[in-house]
Amino acid sequence: MLLDARGLSFAYRRGAQVLDDVSLSVPRGSIVGLIGPNGSGKTTLIRLLNGTLSPARGSVALDGVPLATLSRRDLARRIAVVSQETHVTFDFTALEIVLMGRYAHLGAFALEGPDDVSIARKALSATGTTALEGRQFATLSGGEKQRVVIASALAQASDILLLDEPTTALDVGFQFEIASLLARLNRDRGTTMVVSTHDLNLAATLCTELVLIKAGRVLAQGATGDVLTAANIRRLYGVDADVTFHPRAGHLTVVPLARTE
Amino acid sequence: MPGRSDVRRRLAVTLAGFGALTFAVCLLAPLVGSTSIHFSRVFDRSIPFADNVDAQVFFVARLPRVVAAAVVGAGLALSGVVFQALLRNPLASPDTLGVAAGASLGAMLALTAHADFTLLGVSVVPLTSFAGSVGSLAIVFALSLARRRGTSSTVLLLGGIAIAALLNAAGRFIQYLADVTETFRTVQWLMGSLDVGSYAPILASLVPFGIACIGFVTLPRVLDLISLGEEAAEARGVDVVRTERIALVSASLSTGAAVSLGGPVLFIGIIVPHMVRLIVGADHRLVLPASALFGASFLIVCDLIARTIIAPVEMPVGIITAIIGGPFFLWLLFRGR
Amino acid sequence: MAAISRTISKGLKAQGSGLILAAALSLLPFALPVHAQARRIISIIPSTTEMLFAMGAGDRVIAIGSYDNYPPEARKLPRVGALIDPNVEQILQMRPDLVVLYGTQTELKRRLDRANIPNYSYAHSGLADITQTIRSLGTRVGVAASAEALAARLERQLADIRARVAKRPRPKALLVFGREPGSLRNIDASGGVGFLHDMLETAGGTDVLGDIRRQSVAMTTEMVLARAPDVIVELRYSKDDINNADMSAWNRLAAVPAVRNHRVILLTGEEFVVPGPRVAQATERLAAALHPEVFK
Repeated sequence: MLLDARGLSFAYRRGAQVLDDVSLSVPRGSIVGLIGPNGSGKTTLIRLLNGTLSPARGSVALDGVPLATLSRRDLARRIAVVSQETHVTFDFTALEIVLMGRYAHLGAFALEGPDDVSIARKALSATGTTALEGRQFATLSGGEKQRVVIASALAQASDILLLDEPTTALDVGFQFEIASLLARLNRDRGTTMVVSTHDLNLAATLCTELVLIKAGRVLAQGATGDVLTAANIRRLYGVDADVTFHPRAGHLTVVPLARTE
Repeated sequence: MPGRSDVRRRLAVTLAGFGALTFAVCLLAPLVGSTSIHFSRVFDRSIPFADNVDAQVFFVARLPRVVAAAVVGAGLALSGVVFQALLRNPLASPDTLGVAAGASLGAMLALTAHADFTLLGVSVVPLTSFAGSVGSLAIVFALSLARRRGTSSTVLLLGGIAIAALLNAAGRFIQYLADVTETFRTVQWLMGSLDVGSYAPILASLVPFGIACIGFVTLPRVLDLISLGEEAAEARGVDVVRTERIALVSASLSTGAAVSLGGPVLFIGIIVPHMVRLIVGADHRLVLPASALFGASFLIVCDLIARTIIAPVEMPVGIITAIIGGPFFLWLLFRGR
Repeated sequence: MAAISRTISKGLKAQGSGLILAAALSLLPFALPVHAQARRIISIIPSTTEMLFAMGAGDRVIAIGSYDNYPPEARKLPRVGALIDPNVEQILQMRPDLVVLYGTQTELKRRLDRANIPNYSYAHSGLADITQTIRSLGTRVGVAASAEALAARLERQLADIRARVAKRPRPKALLVFGREPGSLRNIDASGGVGFLHDMLETAGGTDVLGDIRRQSVAMTTEMVLARAPDVIVELRYSKDDINNADMSAWNRLAAVPAVRNHRVILLTGEEFVVPGPRVAQATERLAAALHPEVFK
């Protein structure tokens, strides 16, 4: 196991319990999906998995090393995060955004050398954004922005990539684009990923394993085919859905039909 | 042009360019003024100093002004850059969190109470003004500690605005209680003045400014990352809480030092960072040192204009910075796009 | 106070009407019926309050302004505000038959006119206007004879001072009436216009800022160095300022003749900023500072 979380429990100060006894494992080279309704604790879980938050109980280990023992920069060298949207306050270019991913390796004072630039350019190429190198990030389209952000995470040269709803803010064209990109990265580079998403069809196409979270607890986890069932969807979302294998798509598809609650 | 990746080269070019500009401005500014003086007479050792009006004007009246303008301009520009990155708000200024409001309140209290004491060559108004700025920093800092996980920037921004409003209201109340003369003195102080006449207040302000610079040196790269968002910065390995605290304290000390020395000439803190970004791009490793140098040069030039344009009387320097800064900024903006 | 006078003169220059009004009012003695009398006077201006008491009409004054502190008898009277904050309700309530106000207080004047309360607009500029105002105010109030005596006495005293210093060389003098405490920032000095300037010239000094046609000048250290006054006179008039006066700040400009020759003089007292009957005393003290050998 690359990433191993055991018995995670967490509550924000003076808040209700957000996660209760959550355990999951991420095998090397897999894509694990975190599925759950709004407020189920997915984002908190992502933050616990990358070490930004410390659990009240339980622990997370990366390759057997507990995250709590690693410094922030060590963590960043091993785990990269892509969030839903990235707001950039100043006029950075796409390449500058990607180069920021090298901070974990360079620190506050070292300037990027030719090696770092080449890593950044390779990351841009892997995400198909080489042509956008000199463009202002703020002027890019939604899909282009996400691809650059993914490139920035790739530049961190980490073992594992955590993505927090990477396609939620994108239209269906860009969603498809990102999904293909992630699949290709996993296939060509063997990048391990954890993807939290609302999009059941994205999860179906992309993820090898799923973890279903409801109200801070694990509802079910396992291989996608086993876990993504109409019964589980009903328990998770209160929606009656049709889950079938789509011959042309080559994977399961989910079609919501009616609300049950 | 921004966009190329060779940050080493760009840094060298930026420092050389802005450094040369600042050097030239510092050299020429003391030679220009409402009284005409001759360079040869200034450095003529054969004339005793007491009889050498040219030398007196150069060394006693003008040189301290130029040095003060450099410190104030650099200090406010630096804190402007840091606040804009810290608060992720391009419109943030050194006054957004109330530090300048605290400094103004300190000055007003001294002027209204007719206090008149001097400590180590520094007169009462700069002393109380600095105390006021430290006071407001302490309040904002305490606010930031009250939140778990340090300073969420929205909380910091809103809290700082509230504190600024409170301090400004306190200042207005003091003015209301004051008589006409005291109010007039306060208004004069608020318009800014770099006519320090001696080096003691400058040296005093270099203490907090120096401490601030120690903090500033650690910040450039992390400010780049923080401007992407706290989560994004943290995920890339930045200790966000520690960075935000260093940024807050450094920028506030720098603002306090600058405002105590020259009055609240705050426009510099908003526009110089933007002007510099239009020239060098967004990378804070370039923007921070360039802003310090350009802020210094800009204020020296504004002060020069302020003391010559309606000679023999002077215009307050704060008016000149606004009149020049505004259109200059617009020109830079439209030229680039 | 100088700041008030500066504000007034600015207002006058901007509006012009105040000056015209004052000029018109000075002609009133010829227009009004001979029996013009005022028995319930409110004066919110320090100089006119002093004038009224000095010309023997003090018993007719029923209220004064916030900053009127002389003579001591006046201080017992109720205060109804000043230039910026006149308490209009209180003024109307006291039912005066004459209110002496600043020419720029147009709002107050409007309300008094509406209430049919006569008012006298005070304009403020040079030394000569002081005696002129004394005469015209005295006539308006009904004590023309003693007003005339007061004015004449003042003119004699000033002429006397002029005569005593006539033959003396006139030192270049800088008259400072305010600065930031403990430093030389935001120095406010008297320019070439106004009663302080006139006092300086009468006292036998040459105004180092005489060419600047303004009542007050914001001075810089460069200007002080360039103009090299032989004497610097600093005026303080508020009690707090007097107690805490720290003149050592001037030592920074050690090359200025006034500092080098230890001729930086502090003069304290309200008579320096109130252009009223005590102006002769003030001028004499100023002359003594400039020409100590004449005024033992």
